[in-house]
Amino acid sequence: MISAQRKTGLVFFPAFDWAISPEHPEREERLLYTQDQVMEEGLLDIPGIVEYRVRPAAYEDIQRAHFCVPDESAVTTESHLISAGGCLVAADAVLKGEVESAFALVRPPGHHAMRVVHGNRGFCNINIEAVMIEYIRTHYGVRKVAIVDTDCHHGDGTQDIYWHDPNTLFISIHQDGRTLYPGSGFPNESGGPNAQGKTVNIPLPPQTGEKGFLYTLDELVMPLLEEFKPDIVINSAGQDNHFNDPITNMNFSARGYAILNKRLKPDIAVLEGGYAIENALPYVNVGIIMAMAGMDTSFVKEPNYEKDYRPQSRDVTLNIEQLVEALKDLFLRGGLKKKSYDEGEILERKRDIFYDTDGIQERQNEKIRCCSHCAGAFSISSTASTGQHIMGVHIPMEACPACRKIGLDWFQAGKKGAFRHVYLQDRDRGLYDVA
Amino acid sequence: MILGLDVGGTQTDTVLIEGDQILAAIKIPTGEDLLLTLRTALESILSGVETGEIERMAFSTTLATNAIVEDRLERTGMIISAGPGIDPACFSVGPSFHVVEGCLDHQGFEAVPLDKSSVMEATAKIREAGINTIGITGKFSVRNAAHELQIVDWVKNYFSHVAMGHTVSGGLNFPRRIFTTYLNASLHELHTTFSGALTHILDEKNLHGPRYLLKPDGGTIDLVRSVGSPARTAQSGPAASVMGALALDGCRGATLVLDVGGTTTDMAVVLDGMPLLNPHGVKLGRYKTLIRSIITHSLGTGGDSVIQVKTNGKMTVGPLRNGPPVAFGGAVATPTDALVTLGLLDMGNKGAARVAMEDLGSALGCNAEAAADRVLQQMAETIAQSAGAFVHDINAQPVYTIHQVLNEEKIEPTSVLIMGGPAPHIAPYVEKALGLPCRVPPHYDVANAVGAAVARVTAQVTLQADTERGTVIIPEVGEEHKIDRRFDMDQAIALARETLCRRALIIGARNNSLETSITEKQVFNMIRGYRAVGRNIRLKMTITPGLIPQWKRSL
Repeated sequence: MISAQRKTGLVFFPAFDWAISPEHPEREERLLYTQDQVMEEGLLDIPGIVEYRVRPAAYEDIQRAHFCVPDESAVTTESHLISAGGCLVAADAVLKGEVESAFALVRPPGHHAMRVVHGNRGFCNINIEAVMIEYIRTHYGVRKVAIVDTDCHHGDGTQDIYWHDPNTLFISIHQDGRTLYPGSGFPNESGGPNAQGKTVNIPLPPQTGEKGFLYTLDELVMPLLEEFKPDIVINSAGQDNHFNDPITNMNFSARGYAILNKRLKPDIAVLEGGYAIENALPYVNVGIIMAMAGMDTSFVKEPNYEKDYRPQSRDVTLNIEQLVEALKDLFLRGGLKKKSYDEGEILERKRDIFYDTDGIQERQNEKIRCCSHCAGAFSISSTASTGQHIMGVHIPMEACPACRKIGLDWFQAGKKGAFRHVYLQDRDRGLYDVA
Repeated sequence: MILGLDVGGTQTDTVLIEGDQILAAIKIPTGEDLLLTLRTALESILSGVETGEIERMAFSTTLATNAIVEDRLERTGMIISAGPGIDPACFSVGPSFHVVEGCLDHQGFEAVPLDKSSVMEATAKIREAGINTIGITGKFSVRNAAHELQIVDWVKNYFSHVAMGHTVSGGLNFPRRIFTTYLNASLHELHTTFSGALTHILDEKNLHGPRYLLKPDGGTIDLVRSVGSPARTAQSGPAASVMGALALDGCRGATLVLDVGGTTTDMAVVLDGMPLLNPHGVKLGRYKTLIRSIITHSLGTGGDSVIQVKTNGKMTVGPLRNGPPVAFGGAVATPTDALVTLGLLDMGNKGAARVAMEDLGSALGCNAEAAADRVLQQMAETIAQSAGAFVHDINAQPVYTIHQVLNEEKIEPTSVLIMGGPAPHIAPYVEKALGLPCRVPPHYDVANAVGAAVARVTAQVTLQADTERGTVIIPEVGEEHKIDRRFDMDQAIALARETLCRRALIIGARNNSLETSITEKQVFNMIRGYRAVGRNIRLKMTITPGLIPQWKRSL
């Protein structure tokens, strides 16, 4: 009999009774065939693969990562809480040492959800990875986290949440933003003033195949991880780079995903997008589970692989080699020109954010305290087309006294302002205050 | 009158029932020869009984279980069609296992056609090995049986018996389907011979009523019909005890059922008269199967378990058994010796049992009675701990809908029913160890035979309709029909009910016990590129384990 080489946890939550709308890609049917394939393969009978039961996350868990406007109940449904809770179950299994790694095969996804949440963006309401990471930091004292986002779409929500955090390395591999939603994720987006170089965007050209993904992984991602030395590696395992995916233009395969996972060896993988629900997801997910468990994946492939998979073209290969070379210069060979700021300097930036699913326009004004001692306190004031006008203040973990003080001052001042709600996220004190 | 018979590891129990009365109950030792044991048991219970009055008889036997555990299986070839996934060679079973080219996807569409030449090549190799029995299993064959049926068509003339995978169960699990098919094929001849011989004995004894075998799900199947799926009659002992609990007690509320035997204590949970069923299937020997069963757990602690005292004074009861208790000529102290010493059991060599407890007492620094009391306390605690873990595991089973997560119904037994030989004596100790009220039903020592006697026929069908493919398939009965795009859940329910009842009647059910219930019901709109292309309907309907209407005991 076969068994897993590495003990692997599986949290499976297909949410068979939830959809954004009946015909939306994020609908009840999405993981149906994945479930069929996982069950038919008998993966859950394999010694060393352990299936866990989900539980809903609490609002408290969300409040470590988000400012939900006006509150959590308004922007989440039970399905979001359970999807995030599934990630927490996976995290517990790994951090308690019950398994070596875990895969949260849950929906709905989360990587387009930013720190401020007015509604649904890119099928996401809350960022299930960020909720999980902050839970891990609070409950298990883990500090340095690396996130490798292999969804086809730029993980702009996760990037936003960790933009200022020097203890989180965020790497996103995605289809070039000039050709796909959300239109961001370029190399010059490399982190806030206190976390320069801790965001790495790798926009791959359309039609990138197995060769290009694995090349990028070996040449760039693995060395970046080696240099950062994270305590834990999270994979936002979107599956829409697949050659069968209906809403993207990439050329990846189940076999490729399995090899990628085997080399990356994430501690926790979390499902993100992926909408070729019949002819990609069943095989990709089986491949990922088997790869995590250290099993032989050479028999995993799509039934139409021979017929429809086209090896990557020469142009694409050259293009990727140039891109990776340029990114190596920036992030591995010290080419990134880090700006220097005065200690305590306050930087401001203005941003417009569009919530495509819910059709909400948001304008943000962010202030961050430049700090060499901690991740820096920041405040975001946000006005949305829903009529909301709020301010959120974040005091990071291991905050220095000066950042703590300015954060509290901003919160007090905000309470006197014209905001409808003012939120304080004080990570060290485990406090979430709403005024 | 109804006759029930349960063959256990050491003892065979037989009961004769009329209305709600147990007219007679006997116990004989289980011998090496199963048929001889059955014959002896029948002759002793039937002496002086007018056999023409016996309207029904049911047997729970160890034939299939023992054949599997002792590896007395007929040499069986396997032909497998798989496609992408785990290397099917990982599930190689039997002396001649062959994977042929051909593949269906999860919807049942053909991805790669079957390769006849490789099927015929495999057939030749199996025949060359002198094998006459074959099992055929395909991945996703429960979604479309065409490949399995095609292989059968090509090879059936070369073999004396062919077993197929898709009729085993409607559940998805390719490795389990392979193993279950293998067991059905390799038990076929043994079971056919047994069924024939038992039929002969019953005819000879002038017992002409319907004859049933018990299955691990607590249901029965007609003796002759059971030949089609012999693996389904294995591991029926624990089910017999649960059905006995149901018959003798009713098991209202959430009841933990404990059957304390010589070697083991079997446990199960019954919710308002309904035993909890294993969603995947029972494990038979080393084979995980797709055969539905009551969720039971067997703990290696029973009346004849070995007692050990560690150097730190900690005592263990089980999981080993080393011959009979001291009171019955054994060498090692057991809980049975504790019962004899305390005067709770009036059997065997009391002096010897007492000496065993005195020896134990000297290791523990107490007298024989105190030692015996400690033994029973420890035994009860071991059972309680195992029961706690058993219930915890039941509650940890994953769920897949928001509704199930939010309407979580944790199972917490509120009482305990104890059966088996030592039941009344161990009950007070278990009551204390579990902190739950314990009760012992009447006829607790022959409950298994009663359970077998009054269990009704169970059956299950799994229906999957795919209006895009234009088919509805019910694999358990090997049926596939064309449907139009309007086929809906109401039609699915009607079709499933009609099929289930027809099936149940074929395998021995009576018209008055066709209580059907839906255990799984899902419908998905299938959307391709923002356009609805069809409906995917999934329905499981069963006749759940229960008691025959003739059993009218007021509980």
